[in-house]
Amino acid sequence: MRILLIEDDAEAAAFAAKRLREAGHVVDHALDGDSGLNMATAGEYDAYVIDRMLPKLDGLSVLSRRREAGDETPALFLSALGEVDDRVSGLQAGGDDYLVKPYAVQELLARVEALGRRRAAAPTSVTTRYQVGDLELDLLTRTVRRGGRKIDLQPREFRLLEYLMRHADQVVTRTMLLENVWEYHFDPQTNVIDVHISRLRSKIDKDFDKPLLKTVRGAGYTISEAD
Amino acid sequence: MPRLFRTTSFRFTLIYVLLFIGAVGVLGAVVYRVTFGAAERQTDITINNEITVLADLFVANGPGMLTRVIRQRTAWRDDSIYMLIGAPSGAVLAGNLTALPPEALEAEGDFFDFEFERPILDAAGRELGVEKRKARGKVTRFRAAPDAGQSYLVVVARDIGTREFLRDRLASAYFRIIFATVALGVVIGLLFSRALLRRVEAVNKTARAIRAGDLTQRIPRTQADDELDHLSANLNSMLDQIERLMTGMRDVSDNIAHDLRSPLTRIRNRLTDALKADAAGKEAALAATLEETERMLATFNALLSIARIQSGEGAGAMAPIDLVAIAEEMAELFEPAAQDAGFALTLITAPTPLIKGSRELVSQAVANFLDNALKYAAGGSRIELKVEPGQGGGGRISVADDGPGVPESDQDRIFERFVRLESSRSNPGSGLGLSLVAAIARAHGAELRLEDGLPHRAQREGGRGLRIALAFPAPEFD
Repeated sequence: MRILLIEDDAEAAAFAAKRLREAGHVVDHALDGDSGLNMATAGEYDAYVIDRMLPKLDGLSVLSRRREAGDETPALFLSALGEVDDRVSGLQAGGDDYLVKPYAVQELLARVEALGRRRAAAPTSVTTRYQVGDLELDLLTRTVRRGGRKIDLQPREFRLLEYLMRHADQVVTRTMLLENVWEYHFDPQTNVIDVHISRLRSKIDKDFDKPLLKTVRGAGYTISEAD
Repeated sequence: MPRLFRTTSFRFTLIYVLLFIGAVGVLGAVVYRVTFGAAERQTDITINNEITVLADLFVANGPGMLTRVIRQRTAWRDDSIYMLIGAPSGAVLAGNLTALPPEALEAEGDFFDFEFERPILDAAGRELGVEKRKARGKVTRFRAAPDAGQSYLVVVARDIGTREFLRDRLASAYFRIIFATVALGVVIGLLFSRALLRRVEAVNKTARAIRAGDLTQRIPRTQADDELDHLSANLNSMLDQIERLMTGMRDVSDNIAHDLRSPLTRIRNRLTDALKADAAGKEAALAATLEETERMLATFNALLSIARIQSGEGAGAMAPIDLVAIAEEMAELFEPAAQDAGFALTLITAPTPLIKGSRELVSQAVANFLDNALKYAAGGSRIELKVEPGQGGGGRISVADDGPGVPESDQDRIFERFVRLESSRSNPGSGLGLSLVAAIARAHGAELRLEDGLPHRAQREGGRGLRIALAFPAPEFD
């Protein structure tokens, strides 16, 4: 993916850029809102990562100007402001995701990759079926099968699996799951997500040879056929 | 301009006075028209009529008759004034005027005002002196035939002295009243302004004191309970809020200083050692440092959240929310974790009215309760999440466990920041969870209560469990 990172903290940006590059992405970096807007206008990117507080032109304005110009590149806001109102204003300005500082770089990586996937998936109409290996999930009949065998899931487990499969082969962090499956933006401290995952795993992996739902140490989870 | 004159109340008084003068002016004009104006017109009509009568008399009976009639009328001694002069001889034939007033010649054929001298008589008819009187009249030339050489000048007038006197008196009274009104208005305006200025000055004084750094100053209230008092009350509550925020900010920075200094010191020491250590030691130091910074970030985030919630900023939009729905969601989220930790999590709900709040924050508080129960209800086996209608129309959400509970002596302290009871030091946590909950409770106007929890199966010594509850007030939806 080609990623434009607009962030005035040079050190934090260099660190994030390094990790994103290690993960195989191309990263351009702008230090202020003006040059960020110019680079976004001039270049072709697959995702923007924009800090909300920028010199010269703030992050919200950068993105809303790009959106006015018809640019639909997915964008993630970075911000030290994490409360509900800030999140809402970020999304209203056309942001697709919102990450509160300080953040773990794995979290940023996982979210940026999720954004890229969303964009790649968008044009092919509405997906109603997901498949990873021999695991199938059908959104219309709301059924899950593995190796042709039907697996019964609770509604929440179904949504959890749906989110994981929508982002198959990508790392999905606990916060992403909490935000997208439960719609909470706080950290419940207890390992509640881990327990939900292990329940789901016991249903979809336990009786099968090849585990699909894997834990990525220090980052989160991924559902993938690869080892 | 002095300050007193520039006040709003003075300007209002001035405008009021001007409007009053305008109204009095219009009133005066109307009164004048219907009284003195009418009387003047009446005088003119009477004089005209009389001239017509005298002219008829002259035409019918000749100058001799005219002279007699005028002499007769003059003898009545009322306010009528006549003069009959023969022309061209200029002889005064009759009348009570001693000389033809000069105005009469200028106003040939028209009404004219003049002054004449009238003898002052006592009761016996003796002359005491003369007085100058005002009069109004008209002079007309009578001629027997258009080409007759002989003609007569007839002056018919009325003494209007008394009326003029009354009018002058009235006018002067009128202008004195207006003057008094203006003077009074200005004085009252100044008094009002001074009273108002004094009260505004009290506000200014408070503002100056606060600007100088004394945040405890408040605007004094008066007994009046008027709009200025309401303004003061509003400003005072604003100041309360600002003071609370400032105190909150200070607390946050104190806490940050307190809680971040020691880990930072540890990190520095560890890194200093690591510089001299071997490869394995360096790696261990780095790992420990990473872990320490993760904890610091978590602490920092929690402190910021508390500060923002306390400022009322992080609450988001307060909307009608359903405690039962929140409880159901949280029970669903925590149930597997509770089961893993060996607890049976039960959800008890009764129909409860909606409350006004933030779903995110209330959920966060409940998550905190559940998290605490899982961490601290050691030896327990049951957790109960309960929603019930509160007293007075609100709602109440509580989490109870059958663990060891919290000793009475520690109950107030557990809501303070960084307080971790001795018994729980070994558990992970920042010590900020309940102060976050306390901030959420304050943002919702809710009461945070500690009660006895569920009885332990074995009724252990001292084990009375803990119920922690958030009681929300009845909502005021606007």
